Amino acid sequence: MKTPPFRLHRPTTIDEAVNLAADLVKRKQGFDWVSGGTDLLANYKWHINTQPHVISLASIEELTRHGAHHIGAMVRLHELEHGPTHPLLRKAAGTIASTLIRRSATVGGNLCLDTRCFWFNQTEDWRRSIDWCHKCDCDTGADCRVIPNQNTLCVATYQGDLAPCLMVLDATIHLAGPEGVRSMSIADFYALDGMTRNVLKTGEFVTHVSTPEESNDLDGDYQKLSLRESWDFPEAGVAAAWKRTDTGLSTLRIATTACESIPRIHLESAEAALVDWNGESTTIEVAEAIRREVKPVNNTYFPPAYRRKMLRVLTKRALKGTWM
Amino acid sequence: MSKGYRQAPSGSSDKKRKDGKRIAGKQDFGVPGSGGSNPYSELQDIERIPNSQGGQLEQPRGPHVHDPHITGQTIGKATPLVDSRWKVTGQAEYGDDIRLPNELVGRILRSPHHYARIVSIDTSAAEALPGVRAVSTGMDSVNRFGVLPVTKDEHAMAQDKVRHVGDLVACVAAESEEIAIEALSYIHVDYEVMESIHDMEDGLLDSENPIHDRGKYHIGESNVQKRVFQQFGHTDAMHDAPFQSKSDWTFAGLHHGFTEPHAVVAHWDPNGRLQLYTPQQVPHYVHRALSSVLDVPMHQINVIRTFVGGGFGGKSDPFPHEMCAAILAKKSGRPVRINFDREEVYWINRGRHPSRIQMEVYADEKGRIAGIETDALIDGGAFASFGHVTTYYNGVLHTSPYEIGGFHYTGARVWTNKPASGAMRGHGAVNSRCAVEVAIDDVCEQMGVDPMTFRLANLLPPHCRTITGFRITSTGMRECLDEVRKQSGWDDKFRKMPLGRGIGVGCGFFISGSGLPIHWDPENFPHATVHLQCDMDGGVTVHTGAADIGQGSDTAVAQAVSEVLALPLDMIRIRSRESDTAPVDLGSYSSRVTFMNCNAAIRAAIELREKVLNAAWEIIGYHPDSLVLGDRRIYYKRDPAIGVSWLQAVHKAQADTGSLIASGAYRTPPMGGVHKGAAAGLAPAYSFSAYVAEVEVDPETGFVRVIKAWAAHDCGKALNPLAVEGQIIGSCHMGMGQVLSEEMRYGRTGHLLNPDLLDYKIMSVHEMPEVVPIIVESNDPEGPFGAKEAGEGPLLPILPAVVNAIYDAIGVRVNELPVSPDRLYSTIEKQCRKMGIKDPLDLPNPSFEPSALQADLENRAKEHAHRDLQRDLLKDRSSYVNGVLFGFDPDRPLPEQSEGWRESVTPTPEDLADPKKRAARAWSHVERRKRRDDA
Repeated sequence: MKTPPFRLHRPTTIDEAVNLAADLVKRKQGFDWVSGGTDLLANYKWHINTQPHVISLASIEELTRHGAHHIGAMVRLHELEHGPTHPLLRKAAGTIASTLIRRSATVGGNLCLDTRCFWFNQTEDWRRSIDWCHKCDCDTGADCRVIPNQNTLCVATYQGDLAPCLMVLDATIHLAGPEGVRSMSIADFYALDGMTRNVLKTGEFVTHVSTPEESNDLDGDYQKLSLRESWDFPEAGVAAAWKRTDTGLSTLRIATTACESIPRIHLESAEAALVDWNGESTTIEVAEAIRREVKPVNNTYFPPAYRRKMLRVLTKRALKGTWM
Repeated sequence: MSKGYRQAPSGSSDKKRKDGKRIAGKQDFGVPGSGGSNPYSELQDIERIPNSQGGQLEQPRGPHVHDPHITGQTIGKATPLVDSRWKVTGQAEYGDDIRLPNELVGRILRSPHHYARIVSIDTSAAEALPGVRAVSTGMDSVNRFGVLPVTKDEHAMAQDKVRHVGDLVACVAAESEEIAIEALSYIHVDYEVMESIHDMEDGLLDSENPIHDRGKYHIGESNVQKRVFQQFGHTDAMHDAPFQSKSDWTFAGLHHGFTEPHAVVAHWDPNGRLQLYTPQQVPHYVHRALSSVLDVPMHQINVIRTFVGGGFGGKSDPFPHEMCAAILAKKSGRPVRINFDREEVYWINRGRHPSRIQMEVYADEKGRIAGIETDALIDGGAFASFGHVTTYYNGVLHTSPYEIGGFHYTGARVWTNKPASGAMRGHGAVNSRCAVEVAIDDVCEQMGVDPMTFRLANLLPPHCRTITGFRITSTGMRECLDEVRKQSGWDDKFRKMPLGRGIGVGCGFFISGSGLPIHWDPENFPHATVHLQCDMDGGVTVHTGAADIGQGSDTAVAQAVSEVLALPLDMIRIRSRESDTAPVDLGSYSSRVTFMNCNAAIRAAIELREKVLNAAWEIIGYHPDSLVLGDRRIYYKRDPAIGVSWLQAVHKAQADTGSLIASGAYRTPPMGGVHKGAAAGLAPAYSFSAYVAEVEVDPETGFVRVIKAWAAHDCGKALNPLAVEGQIIGSCHMGMGQVLSEEMRYGRTGHLLNPDLLDYKIMSVHEMPEVVPIIVESNDPEGPFGAKEAGEGPLLPILPAVVNAIYDAIGVRVNELPVSPDRLYSTIEKQCRKMGIKDPLDLPNPSFEPSALQADLENRAKEHAHRDLQRDLLKDRSSYVNGVLFGFDPDRPLPEQSEGWRESVTPTPEDLADPKKRAARAWSHVERRKRRDDA
């Protein structure tokens, strides 16, 4: 198993990184960003969509800034787990992969995690034996292997844990690129397709995420489905945040992950639940609504029907704090 | 006595010159003390000497033939493995650590198709690539090989067709791995894709292109590789039994998941001899296979076993990549190294067979097992490997530990276009064992009897014959059950815990060494041979071919020698790595090494000991019968002050011959029946085990967590309790993986979806419960110091224990492994629908109301406990065969005593009439040679 050769660039400032990227774009050279490398380099070993240049963000000090409401893209998951941010993020961070991987993997990397699929995350020989697939077609124009004969959309699954948690905390994501900096709600960062995954333009990267001051008032929980406590990517995940009042709830946000190509925030279902909030029985209703909204496909370890049903259980459990 | 006896006699110091020069003819050979830093030798520790020899070691099961050779040195003491320092300091050289000067790197081109004819291969472009030194295809090697002489169906590389994705097509040796990988892409292969078979039931049908052609031995035109029929006992009457459990199981295929991927280095030395470095469990079979594949006599080949990073059965076949390395090395004239990537490990596979097993267990009104009827269809993948044996093991290895009224087995192994299945820890016994033990639980539920009591009331006693003729010597089954029952608090927990919490029991039975060597008749050649050599330094070098694959065989053999000769372990050196220096050994499989090699080692050590004792006799004047071996010292039994150091005695013994040598061998006694297949499952001894598992089940998600396991294993005698406990805990881990999460998963296109360690779900430390290893010692009369195997048997009971515990927790029976959360959840859903329950949390919690039979069985269990003890101590030497419980006279042939009693291995049409039985369908085909139309 050999990683194909690539040229590693190690900028030390955001500007330098942006310029480097702009230069490579101009020279029509393909490149990838790397932070912790736990996702990218594993894929490179399998010769999945490799590029001749890799720009490491690890030497940019600014990206490691870590405060109660500011999380730099280079903050390691281990640091997030033990850091000053919202307890929901700390909890979610502690469930990702394994202790070893969390020491290396970063917040930015987790948010930009490549989507995964049984027909894609395989070695080159293996993918050759299925005549490649849409997401890594090696210039063959290969069809999607999960849903054949559609050849337009990639349905690989996004299996990051942090995104739904940031969504329910109403976080903002900040990007930098050759065209300048921009910010947006984290929910708007993701765009439905397993290949493009998000709105990042070529040469653009995530610098940090920020959470609003008001998120301090939110309680929350994250529930995930994975076969083993260590290593495994989530097969379904539900994050919820709410604000409890004397009479019930004043805020409720629910987001899901690991079931579709992007994480998804369920604004309408959550709002509908708030209208006539009745504690436990409402959580069961909203759980059922979430199950109906999410449509996983058969490309990860557990079958999609099971993952959907488990969304209901996970939602119910994530919302336990709203009435107990 | 304070410090024991000084190893070094003071000598005549006054005559010694101080200037470092020697006095002519008066050379002082220095201090003869040796072995470790302690200059004082200890007397024998009387607490470790058995009662039978006048010591204080209790022997609840009576004396053993090896008692006189116990010196108290190491047997029974927790002993770190002798090679552990090499491993923990990172200095052990595993397969892919081997680097020879001037090496080339080999890579293998593999088939991208499940099943295809090779029309042509063009290697010219690859050969022209700079840096490529050799390219080879199937044309270079046409001789067949295979681990079993009866089913040689493999080649170094594909001849005319490829049989699974990943099958070897060609190979390349180049100056670097990058060049080799690049070169593979320059090899042009034209395939004609054929229709492939993925479902094992399709393998039972006639095919236009069977995956192999076995000529006149081919079974019809099907893909049936092997079929087995066995019928013993009252197989008709059992169907009338009042309590019946029938289940249809699906078991996923498994991989061993060893840490070290396969690796090999081949080098033709300047003398033209092949030196092959490989992490192998069975170097001797590779040796044989290389010889026949390469057409080179065996004496021109030296197989060097490297450290093995885990085998578990997955490194016991001779492998095609080993042949490839040798061919490339020959062609290029340079050493060639091939290291596998992880997915190649899955493609060569040899893991546990995916199987579908129909299990029927019948129990009569007296609470006896009226019969077991099993139909096992197993998926062999593309090659035979050990499959011939596996097909038998799926049946015959569940004829014990219980006494049964009848046994009806139909088994078949088919070829499919998947990586080949083979031997894996608990070879062939694991899946059907799980099915039997779960069925027994089911029958107990119907009867209103505690499954623990039921088992205790139906055990075969020590020194008996099973229904198919296996000779059981020692059995600690009863004690295993008693121990786990007591330690787990079974009586307070069974059917008494809240919903979601459960406890279950399962038993196991496994061979301790296959009785029949694969390649020769045991009458003509022993199973194992050990040579000892003792030179002037007093240390003993042990030459054995037993392959230490991490299980600790080097340690066990060293312990055996160390014990007999009363030498510390650091004076024993094991040389087990090279076929040039090691006597032929069948290798590390079928849990044979401790039993067979240690027996051979003990014999060799006794021979050496006699030579040294005779020398001591000459020095101190006491007959060897009255001499005792203490720690590095031989002394007079009645006065320890009269004695001689080990080294002095050794030097005396060496006076005439120089270096001392001794040799010992082991062969199995004649045993077993005469029917076809009688040798399958035959072993000189059997291990027994009983586990209790406590689980927590989440009815809402189907997640199962094993909280704790109590694991009792009868290993005869724990030569090294540390290693035995390690094997028990390791087996539990592996078995729990199979029952809860591990599977080789094939997608809808027949591709293996998880050839990696992320999606092949081996349990992590988080999922691993506390395992309480309980060692039971039944003192096997023929085992070395009483020992039997402990490496494979301990895996079996954990599967049924967990499955039965799941039932106790939520009242749901599963019959598909692994019980992954999604599978269990869908079973829970079905159960809920059946019972009209909406919320799984409202499932009824199973309860237990003992019937009248419970008291009867408790009484019978008590009587049998007494019976077993008498037989153990040889106070009762009457013969006992399976059937006595049903009123038979053991001294007369059973078929003579009852009309319905059958002993047959040839099926009649009625035997195969049930259309639902799968493997039985294999008999719908007629072997080609038996078809008249062939002529």
